[in-house]
Amino acid sequence: MAEEAKGCKELFSEVIETGLCALCGACTGTCPYLVYYKGRIALLDNCALLKGQCYEYCPRTYIDMDVISQQVFGVPYSEEELGTAKEMLMVRSTDASMREKVQYGGAVTTLLSLALAEGFIDGAVLTRTSHDKTPSPFLAQSADEVLQCTGSSYMACPVLGRYNQIPKDNGNELGLVAMPCQVLAVAKMKKDPPENRASIGNVKLVIGLFCTWALSPDRFYQFLKENLDLSKVKKFDIPPPPANRFDVYTASGRTSFPLEQIRKFTMTTCTYCLDMTSEFADISVGSVEGIEGWNTVIIRTDIGADLVEMAKKKGKLQIDKLPSANLTHLKEASLLKKKRALNEIVKKSGDKNNLLYVGLSPRLADKLLA
Amino acid sequence: MTKKQLVKDPLNLIITGVGGQGNVMISLIIGNAFVREGYFVTLGETYGASQRGGPVMSHMRISKETQYSPFIPDGCADIILGMEPVETLRMLGRYGNPNVITIINPRPIYSIDVIGGQAEYPDLHKLVESVKELSAKTWIINATEEAQKMGSHMFANAILIGALVGSGVLPLDKKSVEPVLREIFPKEITANLAAFNKGIKLVRS
Amino acid sequence: MANIDIDAPGTSQLLIGNEAIARGALEAGIGFAAAYPGTPSSEILGSLAQVAKEMGIYAEWSVNEKVAMEAAAGASFAGIRALASMKQNGINVVSDFLANLVMSGIGKGGLVLVSCDDPSAISSSNEQDTRPIAKWLDIPLVEPGDFQETKDMTRWLFDLAEELGTLCMLRSVTRIAHARGNVRLGELPKKQLKAYFDQIHDLKSVMPTTFMPIPSPLRHFFLHMKMDKAREKFEGSAFNRYVGPNKADLLIITCGSCWLYSQDAVKALKLEDRVGILKLGTLWPLPEKFIGEHLDKSEKLLFVEEIDPFLERSVMEMVANLPPSSPRPIFYGKRSGHVNAYGELNPDLVIKAISTILGLAYQPRDIEYRKKAEAVAKSNVPERSMTFCAGCPHRATFWAIKNALKLDGRGGVVTGDIGCYSMALGPAGFFQVRTMHCMGAGAGVANGLGKLGQFGFDQPVLAVVGDSTFYHATIPALINGIYNQSDFILVILDNSATAMTGFQPHPGTGMTAMGEPTKVVSMEALCCSLGAHVEVCDPFDLKGTIATLLEMIAEGGGAKVAIMRRRCELVRAKKEKPPYRVHVDPEKCIGEACGCDRLCTRVFLCPGLIWDKKANRSKIDEVTCTGCGLCVDVCPQGAIIKEAV
Repeated sequence: MAEEAKGCKELFSEVIETGLCALCGACTGTCPYLVYYKGRIALLDNCALLKGQCYEYCPRTYIDMDVISQQVFGVPYSEEELGTAKEMLMVRSTDASMREKVQYGGAVTTLLSLALAEGFIDGAVLTRTSHDKTPSPFLAQSADEVLQCTGSSYMACPVLGRYNQIPKDNGNELGLVAMPCQVLAVAKMKKDPPENRASIGNVKLVIGLFCTWALSPDRFYQFLKENLDLSKVKKFDIPPPPANRFDVYTASGRTSFPLEQIRKFTMTTCTYCLDMTSEFADISVGSVEGIEGWNTVIIRTDIGADLVEMAKKKGKLQIDKLPSANLTHLKEASLLKKKRALNEIVKKSGDKNNLLYVGLSPRLADKLLA
Repeated sequence: MTKKQLVKDPLNLIITGVGGQGNVMISLIIGNAFVREGYFVTLGETYGASQRGGPVMSHMRISKETQYSPFIPDGCADIILGMEPVETLRMLGRYGNPNVITIINPRPIYSIDVIGGQAEYPDLHKLVESVKELSAKTWIINATEEAQKMGSHMFANAILIGALVGSGVLPLDKKSVEPVLREIFPKEITANLAAFNKGIKLVRS
Repeated sequence: MANIDIDAPGTSQLLIGNEAIARGALEAGIGFAAAYPGTPSSEILGSLAQVAKEMGIYAEWSVNEKVAMEAAAGASFAGIRALASMKQNGINVVSDFLANLVMSGIGKGGLVLVSCDDPSAISSSNEQDTRPIAKWLDIPLVEPGDFQETKDMTRWLFDLAEELGTLCMLRSVTRIAHARGNVRLGELPKKQLKAYFDQIHDLKSVMPTTFMPIPSPLRHFFLHMKMDKAREKFEGSAFNRYVGPNKADLLIITCGSCWLYSQDAVKALKLEDRVGILKLGTLWPLPEKFIGEHLDKSEKLLFVEEIDPFLERSVMEMVANLPPSSPRPIFYGKRSGHVNAYGELNPDLVIKAISTILGLAYQPRDIEYRKKAEAVAKSNVPERSMTFCAGCPHRATFWAIKNALKLDGRGGVVTGDIGCYSMALGPAGFFQVRTMHCMGAGAGVANGLGKLGQFGFDQPVLAVVGDSTFYHATIPALINGIYNQSDFILVILDNSATAMTGFQPHPGTGMTAMGEPTKVVSMEALCCSLGAHVEVCDPFDLKGTIATLLEMIAEGGGAKVAIMRRRCELVRAKKEKPPYRVHVDPEKCIGEACGCDRLCTRVFLCPGLIWDKKANRSKIDEVTCTGCGLCVDVCPQGAIIKEAV
């Protein structure tokens, strides 16, 4: 499939104009033509190259899941609901003051800070939410800087555009905190390393986040601006069902919007996304339903296992067994997302055999579509 | 010293180049020199919008008898002074004939069509060979190069006027042209006269 | 420009047609000249302004042709000989005033209108033959056939205008206006001029001293009487003459520049004893008797003129009126298709017409040579499109506009106007401009687009206009946009010059045509006082300009103004040295790879930055580069380096 020469023209006709674009940023920051601006990818000029890295690394152009899985894990694509995984845990930071600032249990912040402190990585590319609650890509190079990036805005952010801007001869080793779509793009880059930017081989650690859907950074942000004084907001949260709310925490307390009202701002592409738990990361992190202040952590690679082990030995993380009810529920939710997404894809393509960008074995596809 | 006669009447001279090169300057000087010798001169130029990087051509009709139109008919050029190679060839294509005499400054100026990739600039060596094939006699004068040696590419104009006068194809000599040079280049006159003399030397070497 | 004030009657000078007109006006003793720059007419006022002080006359660049014409008429009303000159589009602008002026008549000072047409629109938006206005509005019209005549006719026309008491018109074209030829000078007047607007002493004779077109029917009748008098004078004019045999196989009837082309053609074909040329200089009213005397010279008539069949149809009308026994010649010309009814003519086109009619072959050069020359030229001569000069601020402005509109993403529309920036219709300005008509039309069209919101229109609208064009025709459209709350941004390209026509000053530059310092009509103060939100940007600050444009687009709320201010590069270069020395670092340039794809040369298209095919790198062409340093901000690799000089 990668034989055909495809570039930014096809990126627009197949992905951006069809509603599949996830704003992951993999196509921005490398060339002067594609830029992220106010919730969309803009094309400033027509690139005349027939074959483009923008198309190649896009997580919504064809991915052979087996090939990618071989690249990352050395095994074919797992049929397990949560993807290839070594261990599922429940963790939280042992630092009480840190726990006050983070979204759930502080797992990401702790692991990143540790990796930086130990010189395991020189910097981390992640999302920072500024005072006015706009999310933007950020390269953190110290524990303090990582601490500035706690909290989720629930809006998509083109983080990979920041990685793309790191110069070719920069030898620093990097960590990355990313959404499932972004993790997928990185996996594609690992398979066919890009030129003209920092070596993908230097991305030593990928922490993937759980994601059901992301909100449009343009439309949802407009909504927030119209309904809140954003400078007073401390945190956003979507509590687990049956809460059905979008919570906004300010100094004076909590405001809520019915989740139905917020769902309007979901990005179109999320309907067609199969990956709830960032299946190609080293470590995947999410919340624990019903247990506030803790993270679910899925360890997928040796790198991930080593880092969590280090955190445990240095007393940075409190680690518990993930309750089986939670694990069961997580698996159900993950499988449901895969099934829903694949069915929506078939509805969009109009052909059971055309799975758009998803390259699954026919057996697995049939199983999911049943 | 007897003044030379026109080898034919009218004598048709084309000066061609790219907007901004100084085409108009050269034709003014030559034209005025002729009027002072008592000739009818008609000078047709294309300028205005075409100054912005487009081709520029001057048609000069020199006659003892009458005023001719500002257009040289196709195929009727007697002398072509080409300040830019592609433009020189463009003129030969339309106005050349087996008897035409050409002076060329082989310094390319790239159009945005070439820079942008829509068109190709031909191989310079082949281009100059084509010019030679299409002309009864060709002089290659590296005016821009010599002008840069003198301190500025702007001196190329005076060098080419010198080459034209020194070649003997026009019934003009240094004496008839120098006073006009002085009027039109009041600043930098020494440098321009030096360039003019350089041009005469170059064409005769 | 030549010195048209040389006091050397009888000597021959090499003048362009426009200088010949200026000289003719001086010899006629004019006191007042007004114009708006317009190729190919600009040098008329330009050369008069250069010598104005010394000659004791007044010359001005008016804000537009209408004011120029009216101002010149004012001078005529006060007894001063006056001239207004313009290109063909100016005639359109002055037509309303002319329609009333021919009725009111002129004052004691002869008033001459010069119209310079641009066949083939070499430097114009449209091509247009302005001679028909003479027939339409009843204006005596002459057209010179060579450079001497250009001066002599102008000189004479002031006398004629005063004798008739009406405006007279001289029409020229690019190939006379901008071509140079021998002109024998006449005497310059030494008179001191005195201006005075006559008082009304006698209520019974108000008409000579009040200039009004009413009562119109009566005035119209008087005008016809003036035209009859003009015709009488034209019948005996030396500007009309015949050259050729008594009996000809073909009679060419021609005027203007085509007189020279026809002569060239007849000579090239060696048909001096077979083809006669009837040259007309006084075109309207038609000297019918004179023409009638030569009609029997041949059975075949070939009309050679630019651009419309004006003479052709006038003579056709005349012939239709002749008694039935008169000779009925065959008409060849634009109607028959022997001569193009569009575009400019040249000797080759006339040669073709004559050869076709007389069934002759014409071979100016050896066939083998011709084939070779044409083949070589075809394959080796690439196109040379017009572009902005290296260092031009318009390139930066349109780069910023392009990026802003792409970031906005709603398909913004840019309406355009007349000037160097018209080139933004093409690759030079990244194809940003989408409409172009006449002076001021950009803002006019934008007004319409900006009110279409109720029909679902959400595309941002920008109207680009030059600084000179702004003063010329755009202010009423801006007022309309503020008053009617039309959503568009008027982007004024303030490069401190009327650049395309030759860097003439305008009300924003603080300098008059005669080189005197004067009040600056500040465009931002003016726009602010109209109630518009006004921003001033430096287009070379690409980031800032893009941000400002995006903010203004998001604002809404009726017409607003963004001034892009940076001097025209050609103006700047005359006064200052280049600010930077620029070069490309071949190590950093990645050229054709993903991450650039030759953005600098393929898209940005500055003629000073070229692509070295052999080295596969960009390169600065030091002959063309003006050292502005803008490309440094465009290269995404930081491969272009500028060093302050």
